[in-house]
Amino acid sequence: MPVFFAPLVFLLLVLGTAPLMPGIASRTKSLLTGRRGAPVWQLYADLWRLAQRGAVYSTTTTWVFRAAPVALLTAVLAAAALVPFDGHRSLVSFSGDAVAFAYVLGFGRFALVLGALDTGSSFEGMGASREVTFATAVEFGLLLSFAALVIATGEMSLTGMLGEPLAMRWPAATTSLILVAIGLFALLLAECARVPVDDPSTHLELTMVHEVMVLDHSGPDLALIAYAGAVKFALFGAVAAAVALPRATWSPMASALGLLGGMFLCSMAVGIVESSMARLRMVKVPLYIAGSVALGGFGLILLLR
Amino acid sequence: MLLFLIGLGVLAAGAVFVALWRHGTRGDAVMKGCVAIGSVAAAIPAVRVLLTGDPVSIRVSMLVHGGDWVLGLDALSSVFLLVFVGVGVAATFYGAAYFAEERAERAVWLNHALLVVLIIALAVVVTAQAVLPFLGAWEVMAIASYLLIVTEHEQTEVRRAGLMYLVATHAGTLALFVMFALWSNGGSDWSFAALAANTHQLPHGITPIMALAIIGFGVKAGAVPFHFWLPPAHAAAPSHVSALMSGVVIKTGIYGLLRVVVMAGGAPAWWGWALLALGVASAVLGVLWALAQHDLKRLLAYHSVENIGIILMGVGVGALGAANGQPAIAVIGYAAAVLHTVNHALFKSVLFLGAGAVYRATGTRHIESLGGLGRQMPVLALSFIVGSAAIVGVPPLNGFVSEWLVYQGLFRTGIAGGGTRLAVLAVPLLALVGGLALACFAKVVGVVFLGQARSEKSRTTRPLSPGLVGPPVVLALACVALGLFPVLVMPSLLHVGAQLAASDVHAVAEVTETMADTQRLSWFAFGIWGMLFAVWGVRALLLRGRTVVRGPTWGCGFGEPTPRMQYTASSFATPLLEVFAGLSGVREHRGATLFHTSVSDFVLDRGVLASWMFLREQALRLRAIQHGRLHMYLLYVVVTLLATLAYFVFWPV
Repeated sequence: MPVFFAPLVFLLLVLGTAPLMPGIASRTKSLLTGRRGAPVWQLYADLWRLAQRGAVYSTTTTWVFRAAPVALLTAVLAAAALVPFDGHRSLVSFSGDAVAFAYVLGFGRFALVLGALDTGSSFEGMGASREVTFATAVEFGLLLSFAALVIATGEMSLTGMLGEPLAMRWPAATTSLILVAIGLFALLLAECARVPVDDPSTHLELTMVHEVMVLDHSGPDLALIAYAGAVKFALFGAVAAAVALPRATWSPMASALGLLGGMFLCSMAVGIVESSMARLRMVKVPLYIAGSVALGGFGLILLLR
Repeated sequence: MLLFLIGLGVLAAGAVFVALWRHGTRGDAVMKGCVAIGSVAAAIPAVRVLLTGDPVSIRVSMLVHGGDWVLGLDALSSVFLLVFVGVGVAATFYGAAYFAEERAERAVWLNHALLVVLIIALAVVVTAQAVLPFLGAWEVMAIASYLLIVTEHEQTEVRRAGLMYLVATHAGTLALFVMFALWSNGGSDWSFAALAANTHQLPHGITPIMALAIIGFGVKAGAVPFHFWLPPAHAAAPSHVSALMSGVVIKTGIYGLLRVVVMAGGAPAWWGWALLALGVASAVLGVLWALAQHDLKRLLAYHSVENIGIILMGVGVGALGAANGQPAIAVIGYAAAVLHTVNHALFKSVLFLGAGAVYRATGTRHIESLGGLGRQMPVLALSFIVGSAAIVGVPPLNGFVSEWLVYQGLFRTGIAGGGTRLAVLAVPLLALVGGLALACFAKVVGVVFLGQARSEKSRTTRPLSPGLVGPPVVLALACVALGLFPVLVMPSLLHVGAQLAASDVHAVAEVTETMADTQRLSWFAFGIWGMLFAVWGVRALLLRGRTVVRGPTWGCGFGEPTPRMQYTASSFATPLLEVFAGLSGVREHRGATLFHTSVSDFVLDRGVLASWMFLREQALRLRAIQHGRLHMYLLYVVVTLLATLAYFVFWPV
């Protein structure tokens, strides 16, 4: 059996279950707020429906608008290939691939923002502006957390940073790693457009961030974007959960399933956050992200002392 | 080496021919041919040096002070030479097309000839192995650049920018004179080899030399706080000259710093820290100030400051690694700096040449009055987008490879422990730079090429000649290729890194590992391209046979959107700039129906210009003694003589 077989299977498992992540979050939210809510597999139904549809394109748009969803999904899939879901091995791994993880997501964001600006709509321009503002801070925080993990484990690839070396160092660096895990979860809320940074269920264009950027996308294009969003949610959940759950001694299968469980817990936590607080005012968001960055920063400083 | 000299000769012949056939296009064509042939001839020895690893040199006996003149190519020189002539050829070809329509109104032949002279001077700067030819070529380079910057000298702004450049570059050169004078230590042989041999017998040690190198070469490179001349000068020059200046001429500063490291046989740790700090400051402030700009070329010029910062971070990491006896970190840090130099030369040239084409087509560089150009010039837009993605540093393009190496150097410094582990704190700052650059180029591409035209100028554009589109397309393809095949250049770069780190490239185990990692990164880039086509295929499959409708952009219920309702560059960048408050130097102007921002560079406005004004005011006080009365002047002479006499009487020599 070739070495890439197991990581490929686990990668496909995560890609297959990714649409559950937003579903679990919204189901948790509706349970906690006493509503019936949509089923957890709602996104599968949405994707299926969108994939069957035709599309409407604005006369203002060019090929950039059509390429944006494609580039976004490609970027997210490429990032997924770098994550060791079973704690031992990822599909692609090289020294410094943590940087590639952050930057390839940046590639997707660049494409999506250009697609939004291609419509010439002021609403989408607004969303794009907010997205790059928040994402800049998130990128700062993400690499700060990765730097903490690099210092903690002495490894520069996600396979090492989230795998066995991390578990070995857990007893000695518990405080730092817990801080980093919480910081990563807080960044997840920002990067994946959840409360308190963005509200995925809002219907007022002026208050939206991520959703307003995709106002003009329809049909299969919108399906690609929605699915890419779910996979990104799953990836951030996986990274945060992998830091919080050291699984060195587990078998690959148990480890991967454990991580999947951790991701779903992460998603439930998102639901709990969303049902307990409202979206912050736009001007407060940088403060929120700075706070979550500070957690990773404290983790790093503790490791460097 | 002979081939190199022949190449320079052919280049010089190009300058002569274009001066001979001033009128008509024959001179241009011959010049293009000469530059292409001469550059290839000059590049062949450089390629040979990189492949074999054996440096070559030629020694010319000179009857002037300072000993023989030596020209030589080693690994470091060769990489820079290849980049310089490569961008030089692209700029020359582009320049011929760019100036074709101004033939009637200005002496374009002079411009073309100066450009060739500049390329020759650049080639000599990176090959000179003695002080005199180095400083001579350095000066020719500075003056040729100045004359090229003031091409459009009928504009006051251009003359001001040129003057500031001239003053700044000479201030830097002055520091270099002092540096070389200290280093020669009164000896008569001023070849670099002799200077290197002096290094350990200097009365004041190496410290003043390294400090002067930072100032002298820092001014040329445009690192914060020596950057103040750069944005106005690069914005004022014709676009292909901007490309050559931003992509290549400022890199001579980097080359100088690295050459000093080679000559001194390494750098002290404080020097590494200083360059790392300068690098972080240049990168963060450069991109922040770029984000606030509305002049397309000035914005790109601030990005040069940013990228010089990233390069300096690599140099700093390399110097720290070497000073602490960690050859792996040193090799990777230096290799990262050199690779980013190459990459920046490529993508910054794409962007400046693209900006020049936009200027030719619309007659404006003000991005707030552009928009929707992507429909009228799709090929140029595509290459500009590729160049933007490359400068932002996202995979699968070349910019990522060098930033990835810088990150690796920083991470390794952190892992290695010791006092230098704090260098790892530069990691999130580099990430911040990446995020800001993404925001900035999203703004540029979005406002210039996407959406709808914001003014009549961008609605009715003039058609572009192929000579304005070809060079940026070729350079953009080079960005793609280098992103896919970094393995091809990596051995040479690691070789240069080893030369700088004064270690054997084969003796460092991590270097082999880095090669293997680069190979995997290459596969990753291929995977991304493959996946792009695959997902595009899935999308096309899903849309097949479906109804695809075209309609107006969704205006959220509002049916009559106009181009003026689009988000502007000011409004796009403001939320991000507000986070940084005073650091970004942005002023907002709000009215009932108006919002725009203006920007000031605090180093220039509050630092350089303010201290210049102070000096001038203080100097005014001295005017009291310059009153034009002869008898008083005679009195000054007598008093001075008496004072001198008294000095020698009381303190005999």
